[in-house]
Amino acid sequence: MNGFIVENGGLQSSIQDAGRRGLSDIGLTQSGAMDEMAFGYANFLVGNAFNTPAIEIAMGGASFKARSEMCIAICGANMQPTCNGHSIALWQTHLLRRGDVIAFDFANEGQFAYIAVAGGFQTPFAYGSYSTSLKEGLGGLEGRKLKTGDLLHTLGNRCPMDRRKLERKFIPKYPDSITVRLVKGYQEAMFDTKAQETFFNSTYTFKGEGDRMGYRLSGEKVVPSSTGILSEPICYGAVQVPSHGEPIVLLKERQTIGGYPKMGSIIAVDCFKLAQLKAGGKVKFKEVSLKEAQRATRAFYIFFKEQEA
Amino acid sequence: MSRRYAIASESSVIVYFGTSIDPVISQEVQKAYHALKAKAQESFYEIIPSYASLMVSYDVMRFSFDAVCEIIENSIHQAESIAVSEPKIITIPVYYGREVGLDLELLAQEKNLSAEEIIALHVNEVYTVYAIGFAPGFAYLGEIDARLATSRLASPRKAVPKGSVSIADRQTAVYPTQSPGGWKVLGRTPTAMFDASYDGLSLLHVGDHVRYQSISKEEFLSLGGEL
Repeated sequence: MNGFIVENGGLQSSIQDAGRRGLSDIGLTQSGAMDEMAFGYANFLVGNAFNTPAIEIAMGGASFKARSEMCIAICGANMQPTCNGHSIALWQTHLLRRGDVIAFDFANEGQFAYIAVAGGFQTPFAYGSYSTSLKEGLGGLEGRKLKTGDLLHTLGNRCPMDRRKLERKFIPKYPDSITVRLVKGYQEAMFDTKAQETFFNSTYTFKGEGDRMGYRLSGEKVVPSSTGILSEPICYGAVQVPSHGEPIVLLKERQTIGGYPKMGSIIAVDCFKLAQLKAGGKVKFKEVSLKEAQRATRAFYIFFKEQEA
Repeated sequence: MSRRYAIASESSVIVYFGTSIDPVISQEVQKAYHALKAKAQESFYEIIPSYASLMVSYDVMRFSFDAVCEIIENSIHQAESIAVSEPKIITIPVYYGREVGLDLELLAQEKNLSAEEIIALHVNEVYTVYAIGFAPGFAYLGEIDARLATSRLASPRKAVPKGSVSIADRQTAVYPTQSPGGWKVLGRTPTAMFDASYDGLSLLHVGDHVRYQSISKEEFLSLGGEL
């Protein structure tokens, strides 16, 4: 068999692609890679199309054994990966031989790391995606996180070239303090001038209260003019403010509808940065126009579309 | 009817048709939803209806906010000239036995009604699917008889069994899989709410009409129900 055998799934490793589309109307969450940037670069390095399933390792502690020769790239959080005990670099390709063990410690920078393999993992396709939705228990490998003994088949493709490295200027950083851009919308009118000033002038702390569904931020309370609204659809990056007054940013495994007032939404590329924030990290919100937000999102996806062209 | 278009995110538009749970408003949402699904499903990432709103998520490489609003508005106008098709009526068999109707007793005490009276009120109504969410195939049906209107459990269950037929406020729903939840459980259905073999995956879709039908324990078991 070509591929990996999971020696240790770590805290939470799962198969993810860019996510599940078009089924939110019957209640299926989008799911997909928490950080599409690192995910995208990993696939790019091994010569895969952007939306190719990869392993997402959350926080670390995982290890995998190669059952065949294969070409991989590791991108995202720095979990000090090793191959047979020797350090290996992120943001570049590596050729593994049969029997090689790659192991991950706990992340000292970022939260999510991605392993892409040339040709992609041959895992089950469910409801239009390879992504695992852990909350719903569907997709990926039996809808669950990876565990010891799991087999992850690959095609055994060769590297696109001997060794491919991401240019330094493209390598993202995962600082402890970030500013995320927000497009106002939804119920912004339910937050008066004072509440909006508080929201945009405060620094919030991510205390680690969060998962693939969303991150709760702690700090200055922002009180909407009403505590609840009629349940309505929720998009990626939506910043909802329940009655406790602290913002919750909804991410890949968010619920599809909900009834809390929302200030607006963080743009996709900044949701990827937020996903990588470690517990204790600081967040500031910055308002941007729809035009500016769309320009940023377009720039991100154009890069990967061009690689595929 | 006036509609309000709002930004949800850099790649999502939300349209508000109203601000309350109202069959007339819901029908407007349903018409727009079905028109968009039929015409523009391939163009958009998501078309999600709820009680009084509809959200469309789009590819910013292909569309501007204004262009999406225009497509939605055109679809709604076209839908208005088309006669509303009769909604699908789906019958869901329910076993209202005490061993599966976990809160039947509690509700009977709360409402000063017998279990039989509660069941009669619950099966007597034809419900409309207002929204789907919370979990795959979890359909919010309304409205239940005012005499059954009830609050959620003070302390939610960690695991509500799969197929549990439940109520909260003026709504009723079936739990498609075992999950945590605080709705009061009246019975259990052997029918799957979400299944890969279903055309459209979910038994119910927004706008469908639903009737519950009381069945015996024997029927429940013979239909594959599990106690």
